[in-house]
Amino acid sequence: MKPLSQTARKIASVIVLSASLLGSNAMLSAQTIKIGTPLALTGGLADEGKKQVIAYDMWLNRVNSSGGINVGGKKMKVELVRYDYETNAQRAQQLAEKLIVEDKVDFLLAPFGSGHTKVVAGVAERYGVPVVATSASSESIFDQGYKNLFGVLAPNKGSITNLLALVSKNLPQIKTVAILGREDVFPKAVAGTMNALASKAGYKVQSIEYYSVGALDLSTPISKIKSIKPDWIFITGYSKDLILARKQMADLAVTAPVVTMITGPVYREFIDALGAQAENVTSTTWWHHSALLKGDDPWGSTKAFYDEFVGKEKQDPDYVHAASAAALVALQKAIEKAKTTDKAKVREALASLDIKTFYGPIKFGPNGMNTAIEGLPIIQVQDGQPLPIFPAEVSKGGLKQFK
Amino acid sequence: MLDQIILNGLMLGAIYACIAVGFSLVWGVLNVINMLHGGFIILGGYLTFFSWLHFGIHPFVSLFPVAMLLFGLGYVLQRTLINQVVSKPVLTTLTLTFGLEMILYNTMNLLFTATPRRVALDMGVLNLGDMLLPYDRVASMVLALSLTGLLFLTMRKSKIGRAIVAVRMDKDAASLMGINVPQIYAITFGIGAFMAGACGAIVAVIFPISTSLTGVFLGKAFVICVIGGLGTVPGALVGGLALGLIESITGFWFGPQNAILIGFVLMLVLLVVRPTGLLGRKGYE
Repeated sequence: MKPLSQTARKIASVIVLSASLLGSNAMLSAQTIKIGTPLALTGGLADEGKKQVIAYDMWLNRVNSSGGINVGGKKMKVELVRYDYETNAQRAQQLAEKLIVEDKVDFLLAPFGSGHTKVVAGVAERYGVPVVATSASSESIFDQGYKNLFGVLAPNKGSITNLLALVSKNLPQIKTVAILGREDVFPKAVAGTMNALASKAGYKVQSIEYYSVGALDLSTPISKIKSIKPDWIFITGYSKDLILARKQMADLAVTAPVVTMITGPVYREFIDALGAQAENVTSTTWWHHSALLKGDDPWGSTKAFYDEFVGKEKQDPDYVHAASAAALVALQKAIEKAKTTDKAKVREALASLDIKTFYGPIKFGPNGMNTAIEGLPIIQVQDGQPLPIFPAEVSKGGLKQFK
Repeated sequence: MLDQIILNGLMLGAIYACIAVGFSLVWGVLNVINMLHGGFIILGGYLTFFSWLHFGIHPFVSLFPVAMLLFGLGYVLQRTLINQVVSKPVLTTLTLTFGLEMILYNTMNLLFTATPRRVALDMGVLNLGDMLLPYDRVASMVLALSLTGLLFLTMRKSKIGRAIVAVRMDKDAASLMGINVPQIYAITFGIGAFMAGACGAIVAVIFPISTSLTGVFLGKAFVICVIGGLGTVPGALVGGLALGLIESITGFWFGPQNAILIGFVLMLVLLVVRPTGLLGRKGYE
């Protein structure tokens, strides 16, 4: 046999090198758990998407630096496959499908908010991929019969029930409510829940109106609220809307003994944008960093999570950060419990999960919502800070009348 | 209450006019649908906010420097990039400005993030009987109307303004008259950016500023231009005031969730019955 020419030897070397690289890549992929996440990095929810990224990276760093997730005795590192869905529901749907079909992710994390979670959950259900929602609390999303959707936030109903009880106990003279909600999945659901539960609790709901997404002016509905003089003004929306609403309430001298906004006041940017006007606005949240919980998760306690977050970001974490990290913890624990990355088995493990974490207890009910958390915190902005005023375990002050 | 609603609508309308006038000018004169316009407004807002936050400069003081910076940016962009395709079909320039807008949008997201920010200045409220006029809204309305009026006077009385009008009417004839058409195009685009920057400084006091609003402001500018008419400053003013009033009053009668919808319905109706808009006409007389 003639010896190979120099050219032929070079070609053969390239082929062998490429094959070994491809092979090792395939091996690496097989040793890596891929979790897909459509994120709002641009568009209307970009600020919220950024919070998710911070929390995801914190978890990823902790888990991978300890070798990865324990899957039946073998450690497997995690790769988060991210795409920007530009706060566009259709894009979220397309990217969820791309993540499953092309990127072949093992699991999914839902985007921010109930609306886009619903869209992604539909895709995940079609392909039988477990998806964990970080920030969806509207019961209507979880009543679709999806077997693969799980959410770490407690249902809306719980927070409203606690809020009504707190106001009834501390300010029994409050009798009438005016509700203004954003025409969007979560804010509209919360407004509707407040309407139903307040009426049931004996309050008179004097008006309930909705404003469009993208509204640059809320003076008309706020002027109407002023004319009916309610005891309690309840407004839902996202940060930009609620900053505008509070500003225009001040412009039109609209006030009431209780002013509640869901969910703006829990975010730092609400207080920074309004200054003194943010004082004494109440809100509900799904988590507060003053809860001194311990858990079986990469941090082990609320304090450890809080300390790491503050060290990196130089500000307090809010529930979006915590819930995003908790979603990954839930997935991690389910994989460890199932001892496999098989989707169906992990799905079963999620359904039967019952864990304590830095975020709080996580146990999914029949519809996939986290039913383990009770006593959802209520906060009120006092002295420029979102102060927890309920439940007693985390309370740092009492409910004050809005001036 | 209706008088307060109407007053709110007028104050909002004046700001809408300021949002649209630069956009209308660029579209009318250059035949360029400037997709960057919303981004310019937000950039003006951010520059105003950060100069207030870090240096304590009042937004109404930083308005002119911010607007001039945006003028410079607009001038350079038009002279170097947009001028290359300004004589091409409108879709070509739209695509270019769309691409530039994406660059601007993502750059702002990277530098400033999408966190809503607002110049938290409590200027108080003026009581007029039963009606309340927030001073910041009144000042914003006065500034917006003044800037719009200044632009109108510039277009009517100044040499540059007459040159812009001439180019709008017939660029070939204008060129034969010795007008440097590419220079006029760049100045016009710069003026459009100037107005956007000034508007950004005004709105930073009233609305929380975030990159997610670029599309909202651009959409408003479109609707106002269709209602008022393209290329005319009075058209932008009338369109802005009309939209502000319509959104306020219809929100009162039909519910706030329908206010924006009715604005778009009006735009569609006008496109059918009077496509040039309420005051639209070709060139100035």
